Amino acid sequence: MKKTAKNIIEISGLTKDYPLGNTTVNALRGIDLNVQEGAFTSIIGPSGSGKTTLLNIIGCIDTATRGSVKVAGHEITGLNDKQITDLRLHTIGFIFQTFNLIPVLDVLENIEFPLLLMKKHSGAEIRQRAEKLADLVGLGEHVKHRPAELSGGQRQRVAIARALVTSPSLVLADEPTANLDSVTGGQILEVMRQMNRLEKTTFIFSTHDANVLKYAIGVTKLKDGVITAN
Amino acid sequence: MLALIRMSLRNLFRQKRRNLLLGSAIAVGVLLLVVANSFSRGISDVMINKVLRWVTGHVTVAYNERSRMASEIFRDKDRINAILDQHKDVILQREEAIGAFVKAIGVGKADNLMLIGLDFSAAGNEKSRKETEEAFRLIGGNWDDLNNSTAENPLIISQEKARYLGVKIGDILRIRLRNIYSQDQSARATVMGIVKSDNIFMQPVAFIDMQKIKDIMGFDAHSTGILNLIIKDPMRNAQPLADALHKQLNASLAVIPAAAQKSDLPITVLGYRSDPDSRDKLSKLLTLRQGAWDTLWKDKTALVSAPLAQRLRLKPGSSLEVRYTDKWGNANTPMLIKVGGIFDPQKVWGENTILANDEKFYEQFYEHWPRAAQPNEQAAIPGTSHTAYALLAPEWILLPRTLTTEDLEKKYQDMGKKKQKATLIDVRTMYEAGKMVLQLEGVLNLITLTAALILLFITLIGVINTLRMTIRERTREIGTIRAIGMQQKDVRNLFLFESFFLALFASIAGVILALLIMWGLSSITLRMDDNPLGMMLVNGHLYFLPTIWSVLGNMLLVLVLVVVTAFFPARRAAKLSPVEALRHTE
Ligand SMILES: Nc1ncnc2c1ncn2[C@@H]1O[C@H](COP(=O)(O)OP(=O)(O)OP(=O)(O)O)[C@@H](O)[C@H]1O
Ligand SMILES: [Mg+2]
Repeated sequence: MKKTAKNIIEISGLTKDYPLGNTTVNALRGIDLNVQEGAFTSIIGPSGSGKTTLLNIIGCIDTATRGSVKVAGHEITGLNDKQITDLRLHTIGFIFQTFNLIPVLDVLENIEFPLLLMKKHSGAEIRQRAEKLADLVGLGEHVKHRPAELSGGQRQRVAIARALVTSPSLVLADEPTANLDSVTGGQILEVMRQMNRLEKTTFIFSTHDANVLKYAIGVTKLKDGVITAN
Repeated sequence: MLALIRMSLRNLFRQKRRNLLLGSAIAVGVLLLVVANSFSRGISDVMINKVLRWVTGHVTVAYNERSRMASEIFRDKDRINAILDQHKDVILQREEAIGAFVKAIGVGKADNLMLIGLDFSAAGNEKSRKETEEAFRLIGGNWDDLNNSTAENPLIISQEKARYLGVKIGDILRIRLRNIYSQDQSARATVMGIVKSDNIFMQPVAFIDMQKIKDIMGFDAHSTGILNLIIKDPMRNAQPLADALHKQLNASLAVIPAAAQKSDLPITVLGYRSDPDSRDKLSKLLTLRQGAWDTLWKDKTALVSAPLAQRLRLKPGSSLEVRYTDKWGNANTPMLIKVGGIFDPQKVWGENTILANDEKFYEQFYEHWPRAAQPNEQAAIPGTSHTAYALLAPEWILLPRTLTTEDLEKKYQDMGKKKQKATLIDVRTMYEAGKMVLQLEGVLNLITLTAALILLFITLIGVINTLRMTIRERTREIGTIRAIGMQQKDVRNLFLFESFFLALFASIAGVILALLIMWGLSSITLRMDDNPLGMMLVNGHLYFLPTIWSVLGNMLLVLVLVVVTAFFPARRAAKLSPVEALRHTE
């Protein structure tokens, strides 16, 4: 997967328009952005500045209106749904603000889930890898719990483990700490930073919380759909 | 795959109340379908294997000797049996249907009875006897008394008829009937048993020993009555078997290979058809040396070939007696022939040929069936290419196969108009003979199945609605799994599996309930003696016939319907855009 290119993300001239009634909302208006492999970078900006929109497009779950987006060497605008889904599965991990775990699966099964979708590994391999990640995020004791039985911080740890289990080159986290208190949020960012070091995974996370910024290594500032500082 | 199944199963138990409700609806749908289907199979079974079996059998070989409607007899039963023997694999039972409408005179009252001959003595008839005893429950007397030799013509009649005629066991009835020679016959019969009838159709039925009714009717040892065949898998086999028998019953020319009375001079006696049309054609074909056509037709006399007439010194008005060996080896069977004309054989007829009027000819032919012609006698017999072949008397006339009751009636009417003299043979199936019964069966099946299907349809709407609701609730979840990297196809299958398992569990429950309900319903005794619907009961009980395959078929139908119905909402869920789905709030 990992190409020799140093940039895992290369964005140029990206715009995103949303039709809203008779008008259009220009959520992104000409973004040029490169992110290097192994980065642990943050996108910061006020509410409505376009952070989620940008992350969604990088994460290949939304499409650009104009411009070019290259993720791990793939120009994503030309791909069909099946290819894009495969790209997401193999290359990208997601961490959501609202955790988004699958309620009917327990902790271990949630972590295993993306590996099962890959249909590449044996049951034993999957189990082993999932258990290792559960340990790494500090949930070794809770593998048999269902999401409903976990605290918010614990849930987000599960989400981190799930995002990392496939060894993606890129993990996207849209406001991963917004639903957590600041202590727990800090711990979550510590875990993410640790994973970034251990697995050499690129992390991009968004936040509007200046406190969170101290964890970031690079910062991209967004305002009204344009980058104001990098 | 396994993960998908596991997930769908867990999802199924997530909305317990909703799925329990929908599951119950599917279960009720399956239940009704299975019950309705088993009931209509039961009806079919009763109609085909119990009612029609008594009325017509599944395939019938019927005869009208010398084209007479009342003479349902064929005097060469070996010939028929030899053909039937070739179909032993499908024919389970051959039953000679010898029955007669008789007028029974009791104590000051008379009523019609349908007299049916029963042959309990013959080997292999144990099953038939058992079935008879099950269908007609005796409330007085004993089935064995049908063969009681101390009583005169022992009879078993229905309770209703016995009451009406004012007779009880041991009493004598006088019966009048028309025998196979169309003569009125009268006999005394002793009531030896009284049966209870399930429905009004069975009330006029009275039983008598087969041999006794054969004697009364005038059957001899070589004769057979109409044969009702009970066969394997009647729905499938009846038509093909009838067609095959029909083919094999093709008639050839009726020939009496005879000899002159005092010498061994061989004489070929044939019959000519005396219907107006054939007569016309024959008079154009043959040259008369002596005699006149008009008197010949009027007197129903025979045509003798000129060389034979010369040899035996015959002329119009004289008569001669020939002799032949019959089928059962009786040599010197005599036949009297009255000469009406002398014709020129013109090299196309054998020198010693007699063409007898078919009416006279058949009288002799059927009652003293001749042996087959020997090879040395063949030369004198006209072949199928002979100019007059179609004008000569065949062994019998095989009626064309018909498929409906209307056609069956029509062909007999047509035959009546043609004034044929030969015996008619017809091969028919329950579809023609028992059309009314089968129609009733069809209507009942239609009603029950339609009701069940409507219910099923309503259930399917429930499936769609529930699935839509579920999908709406789980939209964010769908967004999540799509974002993580699940393909559209798998998302769709996730919902299909869920519906499939719901339908599977529900239909298993439905089948179990259906079996319990059928068991319960069939153990209730119903009294419907005077109601035609009583025909659908077996010994006063509702009759269900669930077979493994019909039940599995019903389950499969429901599963397929549910999955197909679920397909469309499931596909819509799969096609949701991941961002939209993730943004979904409720
Ligand atoms: N589906 C949509 N339809 C119309 N407008 C949208 C849609 N999604 C986002 N927008 C608009 O695009 C702009 C950028 O939204 P976005 O969600 O990216 O902001 P954000 O920086 O993530 O904000 P927040 O910090 O509140 O999450 C906003 O003005 C928003 O109203
Ligand atoms: Mg946002």
